[in-house]
Amino acid sequence: MTPSDTSGRGRAPALLMRDIDKAFDGHPALTGAGFRLEYGHVHALVGENGAGKSTIMNVATAVYAADAGEVIVDGYGTALRTPAEALSAGLGMVHQHFRLVGRFTVAENVALALGGAGQPCSLSEAARRVREKAAELDFRLDPHARVERLSIAEQQRAEVLRVLLLGARILILDEPTAVLTAAEARALLALVRRLADEGRAVALVTHKLHEVAGYCDRVTIMRQGRTVLAAAEVAGADLNDFARLAVGELPDTPRPAPVTPGAPLLEIENLSVRRGDGSAAVEGLSLSLRAGEILGIAGVGGNGQPELVDCLSGLSPAVAGTVRLAGQEATRAPVRRRRRAGLAVIPADRSDSALIGGLPLAQNLALTGVWRGAFGPFWWLNKARMRRAAETAITERDIRGGGVATPAGLLSGGNAQKLLLARELGPGARVIVAHSPSRGLDLRATRAVHDALRQAVREGAACLLISEDLEEIMTLSNRIAVMNHGRLSAPMPVAEASAQALGALMAGHA
Amino acid sequence: MPEAPLLIRRQRVPGWLSALCYAGGLILGLAIAAGLLMALGVPGPSLWDEFIVETFLTSDGLSQTLTAMIPLALVGLGSALAMRVGFWNIGISGQLWMGAVAATWVSLHGIGPGALRLPLMLVLSCLAGAAWVGLPLLLRLKWNVSEVITTLMLGSIAFLWVQHLLFGAWRDTTTGFANSRSFAPEERLPLLGWGHLHAGIWIVLGVTLLGVLVMATSRVGFYARAVGLNPRAARAAGLPVLGTIAGLVLASGALCGLAGAVIVTGTEYRLSQTIGGDYLFSGIVIAFLARSQLLAVLVVAFVLGGFYTTGNVLKMFYGVSEAVVLLTQGIVLLTVLSAQLFSTYRIERRGNA
Repeated sequence: MTPSDTSGRGRAPALLMRDIDKAFDGHPALTGAGFRLEYGHVHALVGENGAGKSTIMNVATAVYAADAGEVIVDGYGTALRTPAEALSAGLGMVHQHFRLVGRFTVAENVALALGGAGQPCSLSEAARRVREKAAELDFRLDPHARVERLSIAEQQRAEVLRVLLLGARILILDEPTAVLTAAEARALLALVRRLADEGRAVALVTHKLHEVAGYCDRVTIMRQGRTVLAAAEVAGADLNDFARLAVGELPDTPRPAPVTPGAPLLEIENLSVRRGDGSAAVEGLSLSLRAGEILGIAGVGGNGQPELVDCLSGLSPAVAGTVRLAGQEATRAPVRRRRRAGLAVIPADRSDSALIGGLPLAQNLALTGVWRGAFGPFWWLNKARMRRAAETAITERDIRGGGVATPAGLLSGGNAQKLLLARELGPGARVIVAHSPSRGLDLRATRAVHDALRQAVREGAACLLISEDLEEIMTLSNRIAVMNHGRLSAPMPVAEASAQALGALMAGHA
Repeated sequence: MPEAPLLIRRQRVPGWLSALCYAGGLILGLAIAAGLLMALGVPGPSLWDEFIVETFLTSDGLSQTLTAMIPLALVGLGSALAMRVGFWNIGISGQLWMGAVAATWVSLHGIGPGALRLPLMLVLSCLAGAAWVGLPLLLRLKWNVSEVITTLMLGSIAFLWVQHLLFGAWRDTTTGFANSRSFAPEERLPLLGWGHLHAGIWIVLGVTLLGVLVMATSRVGFYARAVGLNPRAARAAGLPVLGTIAGLVLASGALCGLAGAVIVTGTEYRLSQTIGGDYLFSGIVIAFLARSQLLAVLVVAFVLGGFYTTGNVLKMFYGVSEAVVLLTQGIVLLTVLSAQLFSTYRIERRGNA
């Protein structure tokens, strides 16, 4: 069956899932969930983190086996038992983390996948098919480019192309735009729209309601493992209704009040940082951050933000320039001196650089206090004090899903972030460096993060907020600057910042 | 076609399950080893007799097992300490050789007064072991050179150096054999009057107790856990990551060096080419089976000591090669590690939807 045969509506749905239950080790992820996808449609699957969106799509493609319920493809109820069987039935999934071999070229990846699906072909044949398909879909992709050298957007195109070449008629994309710039996201969504118009069925797992409005025919909304809105028409519907269904409540976002900033707490002059491969990541960056204010640094990911955070944290050296923390010279200071001066860091990847998943909550909370002597002298660690401190933090920050002895790795993203906030935003925090602090969190947890940052700043701290999420920046910051290719634009007050002006700065046109 | 079962990772592993899998793996491994020995002609009943009764339940056997356990426990502790901070010390035998060389050097040159000779030999052996792991440690911390290769290679260098000494300057001139002359009485660890058991057992117990206390009550244990699990997060939180790794790895080398000194001063009374034996392999096996827990190291080393006691008997009476002891260790390590699969994952048959 080719896509062109399938454009007729009114046939059996491409994918019909009914009464799906799935639990992980006793914790239900899906409860009686359902999904119905038609050919020719782009169908959005919306919900907060942990709502079960990825899980139900993984059940559809037989990555997970459902505990109960049925999955019917093209009207046939044949059980699909492996992702390979799902693929041969026409179900292809583009995961958040691409399934490509970085060291291989695009053509080699395609040849590998085709071979694995029992359709071996030569490399030149694979390259020819990549070129043809790319031309057909109207995008550029060099079949002989090594995947690891490609940009994220190009890798994603390669992934989509690979799944299509494997014969997918039902395409599932798991939060495809999360890693893309606005322009790249638009291009991808246009591609997706086109694939559906050619007769394929596309399921688009997403957080972003504006993508639903612009590009989707139907929307299914999930909350807490259940389907709360099934295959609703998008045309003519009110997005706010969808939002309310997805999150249960809409947060009111308070605008940042004008502040009279205090003493400068973080002064950076002409800072330059290199990446591990020697290329320049941050170049001649200067800023001054005062007590009581949040300075937002907007910008597309990959413009030097993680390197700036690592350098300020004391994890990687500056090649030029100076950094002063709370009045003290700290350019080459080790982590401890920075932290003693009041530095607090909320890195973008908390499980990699901030929390230790295998250690209990109490010990994660004590990580920055033990070496300062907050829990007793070197040879005698006061574990009871550690536990009490953790109990207090768990209550104060409303950390759910575990007690003082629970390994931090078992917490959900939102609760893990609250744990990190409890540790970093203590009374000693004077300079807070927060990088995408609400990335991947649901609205409720995002709000908790934002409230905690505002609270800390009200109490006299200063916050450098680095985020790719413009809305987060606009909601929190008193002043805004844009980072592009390692350089920082002049900060402007939030009132003067328009989305257009910032967009232009991000794209490097201003 | 039979369906492959599904492996589902457990969010939490209950303690009893972990213990059950461990015990199951151990029993299976021992059963396979027993079967192997029976196939080699050792009658079943005498296997029981040799393995359990003569090694653990008779006075002679027990003292022999405890004596064999002493160096095993020290290398096991050393291996476990390094493993805790993610450092692969594959040079255990090299550090052990260097410790033995240091102790012998003190003896041969008659350094220090007689009363302090033995303590000096032990302390110097610790320093020698630590120094021998110090170079790979430096290379790893400074330039990220894989310690698997460097420690292993330095192990060979240490052994070759021992041979150089024994066939050269240190050869026993009275007998002409390639070993050092034997130590003076004050250079030997005192016997406890129970078989060959010597005061090294107190060293082992003391070191273990000290290690357990330090790990449980001081910042060292706290830092070690954090650094072992996630060095980047530990560094970002301000923990002394390099210091922790260096401290534990140097302690690891020191204990392996001490093991060498304990062998030459406690049982051999001279440096010979045979003392290094299988300690590299056994040290790693012990640390793995004990899951890097220091008290458990003591237990595992005791059991493994029994293996060696049995191995000697089997070699003498049934003509079974000594290599069987290593083989048995290998089998048990394999089955215990494999059995962990059942505690890490839940296994389900595929439901036919």
